[in-house]
Amino acid sequence: MNARFIDWIWHVRGSLALAPEQSSDDAFDRLRPLFRETGTSHERTSDTLTFRKKDQAAQDKMSVFDGGVLQIEKGTAGSVLHYRLTSRALLFCFLAPLLFLGFAQLTIAMGKLEKPSTEAEDKAGKDSKAAKKQAEVPMNPIDKALGAPAPEKPKKDGADKAKERDKKHSPTSAYVFAAIFAALYVIGRILEDRRLRALFKKSLLTA
Amino acid sequence: MDGVRVGKRLIGTQSPVTVGWENVPRVEGGPVKQFIFTWFQPTVLFALIAFWYYAPNSIAKASTAIGIGIGFKVLLLTMEWFFPRHESWRLTWKELVTDLFYVGLGYTILRMIDGYIGDGPMIEVIQHYFQSDKFTWFTGLPLLAQAFLISFIFDFGQYWMHRGMHNWYPLWLPHSVHHYITQLNINKGAVGNPVELFLIGLGIGGFFDFLPRAALLAGAFGMAIGTYQHINVRFNSPRWWRFLFNTTEHHSVHHSQDFEASRSNFSNTYIFIDRIFGTCVDGEAELLGMEGGRRMSIREQMTFPFTEGWKTLKEKFGKDKFGENRFAEPAGVPAE
Repeated sequence: MNARFIDWIWHVRGSLALAPEQSSDDAFDRLRPLFRETGTSHERTSDTLTFRKKDQAAQDKMSVFDGGVLQIEKGTAGSVLHYRLTSRALLFCFLAPLLFLGFAQLTIAMGKLEKPSTEAEDKAGKDSKAAKKQAEVPMNPIDKALGAPAPEKPKKDGADKAKERDKKHSPTSAYVFAAIFAALYVIGRILEDRRLRALFKKSLLTA
Repeated sequence: MDGVRVGKRLIGTQSPVTVGWENVPRVEGGPVKQFIFTWFQPTVLFALIAFWYYAPNSIAKASTAIGIGIGFKVLLLTMEWFFPRHESWRLTWKELVTDLFYVGLGYTILRMIDGYIGDGPMIEVIQHYFQSDKFTWFTGLPLLAQAFLISFIFDFGQYWMHRGMHNWYPLWLPHSVHHYITQLNINKGAVGNPVELFLIGLGIGGFFDFLPRAALLAGAFGMAIGTYQHINVRFNSPRWWRFLFNTTEHHSVHHSQDFEASRSNFSNTYIFIDRIFGTCVDGEAELLGMEGGRRMSIREQMTFPFTEGWKTLKEKFGKDKFGENRFAEPAGVPAE
Protein backbone atom coordinates (compact mmCIF):
# COMPACT_ATOMS: atom_id res chain seq x y z
CA MET A 1 0.00 0.00 0.00
CA ASN A 2 1.22 3.44 -0.80
CA ALA A 3 2.31 5.30 2.34
CA ARG A 4 0.62 8.45 1.09
CA PHE A 5 -2.80 6.89 1.78
CA ILE A 6 -2.13 6.67 5.48
CA ASP A 7 0.51 9.26 6.25
CA TRP A 8 -2.09 12.04 6.63
CA ILE A 9 -2.55 10.50 10.06
CA TRP A 10 0.66 12.06 11.37
CA HIS A 11 1.51 14.56 8.62
CA VAL A 12 0.09 18.03 8.22
CA ARG A 13 0.39 19.49 4.74
CA GLY A 14 -0.70 22.76 3.29
CA SER A 15 0.19 25.71 1.16
CA LEU A 16 -0.11 29.45 1.53
CA ALA A 17 0.16 32.06 -1.19
CA LEU A 18 2.70 34.76 -0.33
CA ALA A 19 2.06 38.42 -0.94
CA PRO A 20 2.90 39.27 -4.60
CA GLU A 21 5.99 41.32 -3.79
CA GLN A 22 7.29 39.05 -1.00
CA SER A 23 10.62 37.29 -1.68
CA SER A 24 11.39 33.85 -0.25
CA ASP A 25 14.18 35.39 1.84
CA ASP A 26 11.78 37.83 3.41
CA ALA A 27 9.21 35.09 4.04
CA PHE A 28 11.73 32.82 5.80
CA ASP A 29 13.05 35.74 7.85
CA ARG A 30 9.56 36.37 9.13
CA LEU A 31 9.01 32.69 9.95
CA ARG A 32 12.38 32.32 11.57
CA PRO A 33 11.37 33.25 15.18
CA LEU A 34 9.15 30.16 15.19
CA PHE A 35 12.26 27.99 14.84
CA ARG A 36 14.29 29.73 17.52
CA GLU A 37 12.55 27.82 20.33
CA THR A 38 14.43 25.53 22.75
CA GLY A 39 15.12 22.11 21.30
CA THR A 40 14.58 23.26 17.72
CA SER A 41 17.25 23.15 15.04
CA HIS A 42 16.77 24.31 11.46
CA GLU A 43 18.64 24.57 8.18
CA ARG A 44 17.85 26.92 5.38
CA THR A 45 18.67 27.05 1.73
CA SER A 46 17.38 29.66 -0.70
CA ASP A 47 13.93 28.12 -1.08
CA THR A 48 13.71 25.42 1.59
CA LEU A 49 13.67 25.39 5.38
CA THR A 50 14.02 22.09 7.24
CA PHE A 51 13.52 21.87 10.99
CA ARG A 52 13.68 19.27 13.74
CA LYS A 53 12.45 19.47 17.32
CA LYS A 54 13.42 17.45 20.36
CA ASP A 55 11.90 17.75 23.86
CA GLN A 56 10.06 20.85 22.71
CA ALA A 57 8.61 23.06 25.45
CA ALA A 58 4.91 22.73 26.25
CA GLN A 59 4.25 26.35 25.31
CA ASP A 60 6.19 26.18 22.03
CA LYS A 61 3.56 27.22 19.46
CA MET A 62 4.59 24.32 17.23
CA SER A 63 5.14 21.79 20.02
CA VAL A 64 2.89 19.22 18.33
CA PHE A 65 5.35 18.86 15.45
CA ASP A 66 8.68 17.06 15.55
CA GLY A 67 10.06 18.11 12.20
CA GLY A 68 9.17 19.20 8.69
CA VAL A 69 10.00 20.94 5.48
CA LEU A 70 8.85 24.36 4.29
CA GLN A 71 9.39 25.15 0.65
CA ILE A 72 8.67 28.23 -1.42
CA GLU A 73 7.85 27.68 -5.08
CA LYS A 74 7.73 30.47 -7.57
CA GLY A 75 4.80 30.18 -9.95
CA THR A 76 3.27 32.38 -12.56
CA ALA A 77 0.69 33.76 -10.17
CA GLY A 78 3.28 34.49 -7.44
CA SER A 79 5.18 32.55 -4.79
CA VAL A 80 3.55 29.84 -2.72
CA LEU A 81 4.74 28.37 0.59
CA HIS A 82 4.27 24.60 0.78
CA TYR A 83 4.73 22.85 4.08
CA ARG A 84 4.76 19.26 5.24
CA LEU A 85 5.24 18.62 8.95
CA THR A 86 5.29 15.41 10.96
CA SER A 87 3.82 14.89 14.41
CA ARG A 88 4.44 11.91 16.64
CA ALA A 89 1.82 13.26 19.04
CA LEU A 90 -0.86 12.91 16.36
CA LEU A 91 0.28 9.40 15.48
CA PHE A 92 0.38 8.42 19.12
CA CYS A 93 -3.10 9.81 19.73
CA PHE A 94 -4.36 7.94 16.67
CA LEU A 95 -2.97 4.67 18.02
CA ALA A 96 -3.94 5.24 21.66
CA PRO A 97 -7.52 3.91 21.22
CA LEU A 98 -6.05 0.61 20.00
CA LEU A 99 -3.89 0.41 23.10
CA PHE A 100 -6.87 0.97 25.38
CA LEU A 101 -9.00 -1.52 23.43
CA GLY A 102 -6.13 -3.93 24.07
CA PHE A 103 -6.31 -3.18 27.78
CA ALA A 104 -10.06 -3.86 27.67
CA GLN A 105 -9.49 -7.27 26.05
CA LEU A 106 -6.80 -8.04 28.61
CA THR A 107 -9.15 -7.15 31.46
CA ILE A 108 -11.84 -9.46 30.07
CA ALA A 109 -9.34 -12.27 29.54
CA MET A 110 -8.03 -11.97 33.11
CA GLY A 111 -11.59 -12.07 34.45
CA LYS A 112 -12.29 -15.31 32.56
CA LEU A 113 -9.02 -16.82 33.71
CA GLU A 114 -9.76 -16.09 37.34
CA LYS A 115 -13.37 -17.27 37.54
CA PRO A 116 -12.89 -21.03 38.07
CA SER A 117 -10.46 -20.67 40.97
CA THR A 118 -12.39 -17.98 42.85
CA GLU A 119 -15.67 -19.84 42.62
CA ALA A 120 -14.21 -22.75 44.51
CA GLU A 121 -12.72 -20.40 47.08
CA ASP A 122 -16.09 -18.72 47.62
CA LYS A 123 -17.80 -22.01 48.40
CA ALA A 124 -15.23 -22.88 51.00
CA GLY A 125 -15.20 -19.51 52.72
CA LYS A 126 -18.93 -18.82 52.59
CA ASP A 127 -20.18 -20.69 55.63
CA SER A 128 -17.62 -19.52 58.13
CA LYS A 129 -17.59 -15.85 57.16
CA ALA A 130 -21.25 -15.30 56.40
CA ALA A 131 -22.39 -15.84 59.96
CA LYS A 132 -19.89 -13.38 61.39
CA LYS A 133 -20.62 -10.62 58.89
CA GLN A 134 -24.34 -10.73 59.53
CA ALA A 135 -23.81 -9.15 62.95
CA GLU A 136 -25.21 -5.69 63.64
CA VAL A 137 -23.14 -2.85 62.15
CA PRO A 138 -22.23 -0.36 64.89
CA MET A 139 -23.05 3.32 64.63
CA ASN A 140 -21.48 5.98 66.79
CA PRO A 141 -23.98 7.89 69.00
CA ILE A 142 -22.68 11.21 67.64
CA ASP A 143 -23.63 10.19 64.11
CA LYS A 144 -27.02 8.97 65.33
CA ALA A 145 -27.63 12.32 67.03
CA LEU A 146 -26.59 14.27 63.93
CA GLY A 147 -28.99 12.24 61.83
CA ALA A 148 -26.70 10.37 59.45
CA PRO A 149 -28.43 7.42 57.76
CA ALA A 150 -27.78 4.08 59.46
CA PRO A 151 -25.27 1.88 57.65
CA GLU A 152 -26.68 -0.93 55.57
CA LYS A 153 -26.30 -4.45 56.85
CA PRO A 154 -23.77 -6.21 54.67
CA LYS A 155 -25.41 -8.41 52.09
CA LYS A 156 -24.59 -12.03 51.63
CA ASP A 157 -20.85 -12.37 51.41
CA GLY A 158 -20.80 -14.31 48.18
CA ALA A 159 -23.03 -11.88 46.28
CA ASP A 160 -20.92 -8.92 47.44
CA LYS A 161 -17.69 -10.54 46.46
CA ALA A 162 -18.95 -11.53 43.04
CA LYS A 163 -20.08 -7.96 42.41
CA GLU A 164 -16.73 -6.61 43.47
CA ARG A 165 -14.96 -9.04 41.20
CA ASP A 166 -17.13 -8.06 38.24
CA LYS A 167 -16.16 -4.45 38.86
CA LYS A 168 -12.49 -5.34 39.03
CA HIS A 169 -12.71 -6.96 35.64
CA SER A 170 -14.92 -4.39 33.99
CA PRO A 171 -13.49 -3.13 30.69
CA THR A 172 -15.74 -0.03 30.72
CA SER A 173 -13.05 2.50 31.68
CA ALA A 174 -10.74 1.19 28.96
CA TYR A 175 -13.52 1.62 26.40
CA VAL A 176 -14.20 5.15 27.68
CA PHE A 177 -10.55 6.14 27.27
CA ALA A 178 -10.41 4.57 23.80
CA ALA A 179 -13.36 6.78 22.85
CA ILE A 180 -11.77 9.86 24.47
CA PHE A 181 -8.57 9.41 22.47
CA ALA A 182 -10.47 8.81 19.24
CA ALA A 183 -12.34 12.08 19.80
CA LEU A 184 -9.13 13.87 20.79
CA TYR A 185 -7.46 12.69 17.61
CA VAL A 186 -10.20 14.11 15.40
CA ILE A 187 -10.14 17.39 17.34
CA GLY A 188 -6.33 17.57 17.26
CA ARG A 189 -5.97 16.71 13.59
CA ILE A 190 -8.35 19.53 12.62
CA LEU A 191 -7.36 22.04 15.32
CA GLU A 192 -3.58 21.76 14.99
CA ASP A 193 -3.81 21.97 11.19
CA ARG A 194 -5.79 25.20 11.48
CA ARG A 195 -3.62 26.62 14.23
CA LEU A 196 -0.49 26.03 12.19
CA ARG A 197 -1.98 27.69 9.13
CA ALA A 198 -3.07 30.69 11.20
CA LEU A 199 0.36 30.87 12.82
CA PHE A 200 2.20 30.88 9.46
CA LYS A 201 -0.25 33.39 8.03
CA LYS A 202 0.18 35.72 11.00
CA SER A 203 3.98 35.44 10.93
CA LEU A 204 4.15 36.14 7.19
CA LEU A 205 1.88 39.15 7.37
CA THR A 206 3.20 40.94 10.45
CA ALA A 207 6.55 42.65 10.42
CA MET B 1 20.44 34.54 42.76
CA ASP B 2 20.66 35.09 46.53
CA GLY B 3 17.73 32.98 47.63
CA VAL B 4 15.79 33.26 50.89
CA ARG B 5 16.78 31.55 54.11
CA VAL B 6 14.11 29.17 55.42
CA GLY B 7 15.33 27.40 58.55
CA LYS B 8 18.73 25.99 57.69
CA ARG B 9 18.20 26.12 53.96
CA LEU B 10 18.58 28.69 51.19
CA ILE B 11 15.59 28.48 48.88
CA GLY B 12 15.67 29.89 45.35
CA THR B 13 19.39 30.17 44.63
CA GLN B 14 19.11 28.36 41.28
CA SER B 15 15.66 29.37 40.05
CA PRO B 16 13.17 32.03 41.19
CA VAL B 17 10.93 30.99 44.09
CA THR B 18 8.61 33.34 45.95
CA VAL B 19 8.81 32.67 49.68
CA GLY B 20 6.21 33.84 52.24
CA TRP B 21 2.46 34.35 51.84
CA GLU B 22 2.83 38.12 51.99
CA ASN B 23 4.80 37.95 48.71
CA VAL B 24 2.39 35.67 46.84
CA PRO B 25 0.05 37.67 44.56
CA ARG B 26 -3.69 37.66 45.24
CA VAL B 27 -6.63 37.30 42.87
CA GLU B 28 -7.30 40.60 41.16
CA GLY B 29 -10.72 41.81 40.06
CA GLY B 30 -14.06 42.99 41.38
CA PRO B 31 -15.59 42.05 44.74
CA VAL B 32 -17.67 39.23 43.24
CA LYS B 33 -14.64 37.57 41.69
CA GLN B 34 -12.64 38.02 44.90
CA PHE B 35 -15.49 36.52 46.92
CA ILE B 36 -15.81 33.49 44.63
CA PHE B 37 -12.09 32.78 44.52
CA THR B 38 -11.81 33.11 48.29
CA TRP B 39 -14.70 30.88 49.28
CA PHE B 40 -14.85 28.37 46.43
CA GLN B 41 -12.54 25.81 48.06
CA PRO B 42 -14.09 25.76 51.58
CA THR B 43 -17.62 25.80 50.16
CA VAL B 44 -16.98 22.77 47.95
CA LEU B 45 -15.28 20.92 50.81
CA PHE B 46 -18.08 21.49 53.34
CA ALA B 47 -20.81 20.88 50.76
CA LEU B 48 -19.24 17.53 49.88
CA ILE B 49 -18.87 16.57 53.54
CA ALA B 50 -22.54 17.40 54.16
CA PHE B 51 -23.56 15.50 51.04
CA TRP B 52 -21.71 12.30 51.88
CA TYR B 53 -22.69 12.53 55.54
CA TYR B 54 -26.43 12.74 54.87
CA ALA B 55 -26.95 11.09 51.47
CA PRO B 56 -29.23 8.04 51.73
CA ASN B 57 -27.55 4.67 51.28
CA SER B 58 -29.01 4.28 47.81
CA ILE B 59 -27.07 7.38 46.66
CA ALA B 60 -23.94 7.07 48.82
CA LYS B 61 -22.17 4.69 46.48
CA ALA B 62 -18.81 4.57 44.74
CA SER B 63 -20.43 5.17 41.34
CA THR B 64 -21.82 8.51 42.60
CA ALA B 65 -18.34 9.43 43.83
CA ILE B 66 -16.84 8.66 40.41
CA GLY B 67 -19.52 10.80 38.73
CA ILE B 68 -18.91 13.72 41.10
CA GLY B 69 -15.15 13.31 40.64
CA ILE B 70 -15.37 13.56 36.85
CA GLY B 71 -17.80 16.50 37.00
CA PHE B 72 -15.51 18.32 39.45
CA LYS B 73 -12.48 17.78 37.20
CA VAL B 74 -14.33 19.17 34.18
CA LEU B 75 -15.37 22.21 36.25
CA LEU B 76 -11.77 22.80 37.36
CA LEU B 77 -10.43 22.38 33.82
CA THR B 78 -12.92 25.05 32.70
CA MET B 79 -11.74 27.34 35.49
CA GLU B 80 -8.13 26.76 34.41
CA TRP B 81 -9.05 27.74 30.88
CA PHE B 82 -10.73 31.01 31.84
CA PHE B 83 -8.69 31.98 34.91
CA PRO B 84 -5.18 30.58 34.46
CA ARG B 85 -2.78 31.19 37.30
CA HIS B 86 0.16 31.47 34.87
CA GLU B 87 -0.22 31.89 31.10
CA SER B 88 2.95 29.80 30.80
CA TRP B 89 1.06 26.85 32.29
CA ARG B 90 -1.83 27.03 29.81
CA LEU B 91 -3.24 23.70 28.66
CA THR B 92 -2.55 22.77 25.03
CA TRP B 93 -3.91 19.89 22.98
CA LYS B 94 -0.65 18.00 23.27
CA GLU B 95 -0.41 18.49 27.05
CA LEU B 96 -4.01 17.31 27.45
CA VAL B 97 -3.40 14.19 25.36
CA THR B 98 -0.20 13.41 27.28
CA ASP B 99 -1.87 13.90 30.66
CA LEU B 100 -4.94 11.87 29.74
CA PHE B 101 -2.74 9.01 28.61
CA TYR B 102 -1.43 8.74 32.16
CA VAL B 103 -4.88 9.24 33.67
CA GLY B 104 -6.05 6.44 31.36
CA LEU B 105 -3.25 4.13 32.47
CA GLY B 106 -4.26 4.77 36.08
CA TYR B 107 -7.89 3.81 35.42
CA THR B 108 -7.11 0.68 33.43
CA ILE B 109 -3.89 -1.31 33.43
CA LEU B 110 -2.40 0.10 36.66
CA ARG B 111 -5.65 -0.53 38.51
CA MET B 112 -5.64 -4.09 37.30
CA ILE B 113 -2.03 -4.68 38.34
CA ASP B 114 -2.79 -3.06 41.69
CA GLY B 115 -5.59 -5.57 42.19
CA TYR B 116 -3.04 -8.40 42.10
CA ILE B 117 0.08 -7.03 43.73
CA GLY B 118 -1.02 -3.71 45.35
CA ASP B 119 -1.49 -2.98 49.05
CA GLY B 120 -4.87 -4.78 49.21
CA PRO B 121 -3.59 -8.26 48.33
CA MET B 122 -0.37 -7.67 50.34
CA ILE B 123 -2.37 -6.82 53.47
CA GLU B 124 -4.55 -9.87 52.96
CA VAL B 125 -1.42 -12.04 52.91
CA ILE B 126 -0.03 -10.43 56.07
CA GLN B 127 -3.35 -10.81 57.90
CA HIS B 128 -3.59 -14.39 56.80
CA TYR B 129 -0.05 -15.07 58.05
CA PHE B 130 -0.65 -13.58 61.49
CA GLN B 131 -4.19 -14.96 61.49
CA SER B 132 -5.39 -11.55 62.54
CA ASP B 133 -8.63 -9.91 61.56
CA LYS B 134 -9.07 -6.29 60.63
CA PHE B 135 -9.19 -3.68 63.39
CA THR B 136 -12.95 -3.71 63.72
CA TRP B 137 -13.11 -1.17 66.60
CA PHE B 138 -12.46 1.43 63.93
CA THR B 139 -16.08 1.21 62.71
CA GLY B 140 -17.34 2.38 66.14
CA LEU B 141 -15.71 5.81 65.80
CA PRO B 142 -17.70 8.83 64.59
CA LEU B 143 -17.92 8.88 60.80
CA LEU B 144 -15.88 12.04 60.33
CA ALA B 145 -13.15 10.73 62.65
CA GLN B 146 -13.00 7.51 60.61
CA ALA B 147 -12.86 9.50 57.38
CA PHE B 148 -10.12 11.80 58.64
CA LEU B 149 -8.09 8.88 59.96
CA ILE B 150 -8.37 6.98 56.67
CA SER B 151 -7.08 9.96 54.69
CA PHE B 152 -4.53 10.98 57.32
CA ILE B 153 -3.01 7.50 57.65
CA PHE B 154 -2.73 7.28 53.88
CA ASP B 155 -1.24 10.77 53.60
CA PHE B 156 1.20 10.11 56.43
CA GLY B 157 2.46 7.00 54.65
CA GLN B 158 2.58 8.87 51.38
CA TYR B 159 4.58 11.68 53.01
CA TRP B 160 7.34 9.27 54.02
CA MET B 161 7.25 7.37 50.74
CA HIS B 162 7.52 10.67 48.86
CA ARG B 163 10.28 11.97 51.13
CA GLY B 164 12.06 8.66 50.71
CA MET B 165 11.82 9.10 46.96
CA HIS B 166 13.65 12.40 47.27
CA ASN B 167 16.34 10.97 49.55
CA TRP B 168 17.11 7.47 48.35
CA TYR B 169 18.42 7.07 44.82
CA PRO B 170 16.62 3.81 43.89
CA LEU B 171 13.29 5.42 44.82
CA TRP B 172 14.26 8.75 43.26
CA LEU B 173 14.75 7.14 39.84
CA PRO B 174 11.07 6.27 39.25
CA HIS B 175 9.91 9.53 40.89
CA SER B 176 12.32 11.81 38.98
CA VAL B 177 10.20 11.47 35.86
CA HIS B 178 7.29 13.23 37.56
CA HIS B 179 9.61 16.18 38.24
CA TYR B 180 10.19 16.72 34.53
CA ILE B 181 6.71 18.23 34.17
CA THR B 182 7.09 21.90 33.31
CA GLN B 183 3.64 23.15 34.16
CA LEU B 184 0.84 22.25 36.54
CA ASN B 185 -2.79 21.45 35.80
CA ILE B 186 -5.23 19.15 37.52
CA ASN B 187 -4.28 16.04 35.51
CA LYS B 188 -0.56 16.36 36.19
CA GLY B 189 -0.83 14.35 39.41
CA ALA B 190 -1.26 11.26 37.21
CA VAL B 191 1.92 11.86 35.19
CA GLY B 192 4.85 9.69 36.14
CA ASN B 193 6.61 6.42 35.57
CA PRO B 194 4.19 3.52 36.26
CA VAL B 195 6.59 2.11 38.87
CA GLU B 196 6.28 5.32 40.88
CA LEU B 197 2.51 5.48 40.44
CA PHE B 198 2.36 1.99 41.89
CA LEU B 199 4.64 2.83 44.84
CA ILE B 200 2.87 6.04 45.78
CA GLY B 201 -0.48 4.22 45.80
CA LEU B 202 0.59 1.84 48.57
CA GLY B 203 -1.07 2.36 51.94
CA ILE B 204 -1.84 0.56 55.16
CA GLY B 205 -5.50 1.64 55.34
CA GLY B 206 -6.53 -1.88 54.42
CA PHE B 207 -5.65 -3.10 57.91
CA PHE B 208 -8.66 -1.25 59.28
CA ASP B 209 -12.28 -2.09 58.87
CA PHE B 210 -14.40 0.99 58.30
CA LEU B 211 -17.89 1.95 57.20
CA PRO B 212 -18.32 2.41 53.42
CA ARG B 213 -19.62 5.93 54.06
CA ALA B 214 -16.38 6.84 55.87
CA ALA B 215 -14.38 5.72 52.85
CA LEU B 216 -16.54 7.91 50.62
CA LEU B 217 -16.00 10.87 52.97
CA ALA B 218 -12.25 10.23 52.95
CA GLY B 219 -12.38 10.20 49.15
CA ALA B 220 -14.18 13.55 49.27
CA PHE B 221 -11.38 15.00 51.45
CA GLY B 222 -8.83 13.86 48.92
CA MET B 223 -10.84 15.25 46.04
CA ALA B 224 -11.75 18.61 47.59
CA ILE B 225 -8.22 19.26 48.93
CA GLY B 226 -5.68 17.15 47.05
CA THR B 227 -6.92 18.07 43.56
CA TYR B 228 -5.87 21.70 44.03
CA GLN B 229 -2.28 20.57 44.42
CA HIS B 230 -1.71 20.65 40.66
CA ILE B 231 -4.29 23.27 39.62
CA ASN B 232 -3.46 26.20 37.36
CA VAL B 233 -5.90 28.59 39.06
CA ARG B 234 -5.13 31.27 41.62
CA PHE B 235 -7.25 31.21 44.78
CA ASN B 236 -7.21 33.46 47.82
CA SER B 237 -7.25 30.38 50.02
CA PRO B 238 -8.13 31.35 53.62
CA ARG B 239 -5.24 31.37 56.07
CA TRP B 240 -6.46 28.28 57.95
CA TRP B 241 -6.81 26.42 54.65
CA ARG B 242 -3.22 26.94 53.58
CA PHE B 243 -1.98 26.27 57.12
CA LEU B 244 -3.65 22.86 57.15
CA PHE B 245 -3.85 21.78 53.52
CA ASN B 246 -1.49 21.40 50.62
CA THR B 247 -2.11 24.00 47.92
CA THR B 248 -0.93 24.58 44.37
CA GLU B 249 1.41 27.24 45.84
CA HIS B 250 3.11 24.68 48.07
CA HIS B 251 3.29 22.13 45.31
CA SER B 252 4.69 24.56 42.75
CA VAL B 253 7.58 25.18 45.18
CA HIS B 254 8.06 21.41 45.34
CA HIS B 255 8.22 21.26 41.52
CA SER B 256 10.50 24.30 41.19
CA GLN B 257 13.70 24.08 39.17
CA ASP B 258 15.48 25.09 42.38
CA PHE B 259 16.94 21.96 44.01
CA GLU B 260 16.49 23.02 47.64
CA ALA B 261 12.91 24.17 47.02
CA SER B 262 12.03 20.83 45.44
CA ARG B 263 12.93 19.09 48.70
CA SER B 264 9.95 20.49 50.57
CA ASN B 265 6.16 20.06 50.81
CA PHE B 266 6.06 16.28 50.45
CA SER B 267 2.53 15.58 51.69
CA ASN B 268 -0.36 15.08 49.34
CA THR B 269 -3.32 16.47 51.28
CA TYR B 270 -2.26 17.66 54.74
CA ILE B 271 0.58 20.17 54.63
CA PHE B 272 0.64 20.21 58.44
CA ILE B 273 2.52 16.91 58.23
CA ASP B 274 5.31 18.86 56.50
CA ARG B 275 5.05 21.55 59.20
CA ILE B 276 5.47 18.89 61.91
CA PHE B 277 8.60 17.45 60.29
CA GLY B 278 10.10 20.79 59.25
CA THR B 279 9.89 20.35 55.48
CA CYS B 280 7.20 22.96 54.72
CA VAL B 281 8.05 26.03 52.63
CA ASP B 282 5.18 28.51 52.12
CA GLY B 283 5.50 30.21 48.75
CA GLU B 284 5.16 29.62 45.03
CA ALA B 285 7.18 29.15 41.83
CA GLU B 286 6.39 29.47 38.14
CA LEU B 287 9.48 27.93 36.55
CA LEU B 288 9.17 24.19 37.04
CA GLY B 289 10.99 21.06 36.02
CA MET B 290 14.44 19.54 35.83
CA GLU B 291 17.46 20.24 33.63
CA GLY B 292 16.36 23.84 33.12
CA GLY B 293 12.79 22.87 32.23
CA ARG B 294 13.41 20.19 29.60
CA ARG B 295 10.12 18.59 28.66
CA MET B 296 10.44 14.82 28.61
CA SER B 297 8.64 12.74 26.00
CA ILE B 298 6.35 9.90 27.10
CA ARG B 299 8.78 7.34 25.72
CA GLU B 300 11.62 8.70 27.82
CA GLN B 301 9.34 8.91 30.87
CA MET B 302 8.69 5.19 30.52
CA THR B 303 12.34 4.17 30.19
CA PHE B 304 14.28 6.89 32.09
CA PRO B 305 14.42 5.21 35.55
CA PHE B 306 15.84 2.06 34.04
CA THR B 307 18.31 3.65 31.65
CA GLU B 308 19.50 6.10 34.32
CA GLY B 309 19.75 3.32 36.89
CA TRP B 310 21.78 1.21 34.47
CA LYS B 311 24.10 4.14 33.74
CA THR B 312 24.70 4.69 37.45
CA LEU B 313 25.32 1.00 38.10
CA LYS B 314 27.79 0.86 35.26
CA GLU B 315 29.53 3.94 36.58
CA LYS B 316 29.72 2.54 40.08
CA PHE B 317 30.59 -1.08 39.48
CA GLY B 318 31.87 -1.04 35.93
CA LYS B 319 35.50 -0.70 35.05
CA ASP B 320 36.85 2.60 33.86
CA LYS B 321 39.13 3.00 30.88
CA PHE B 322 42.16 2.03 32.94
CA GLY B 323 40.55 -1.25 33.87
CA GLU B 324 40.10 -0.25 37.54
CA ASN B 325 36.93 -0.59 39.54
CA ARG B 326 35.34 2.65 40.55
CA PHE B 327 34.32 3.51 44.09
CA ALA B 328 32.36 6.65 43.48
CA GLU B 329 29.69 6.95 46.16
CA PRO B 330 26.77 9.25 45.37
CA ALA B 331 26.53 11.73 48.22
CA GLY B 332 23.24 11.70 50.16
CA VAL B 333 21.66 15.02 51.09
CA PRO B 334 19.10 15.14 53.91
CA ALA B 335 15.79 16.78 53.07
CA GLU B 336 15.62 19.20 55.95
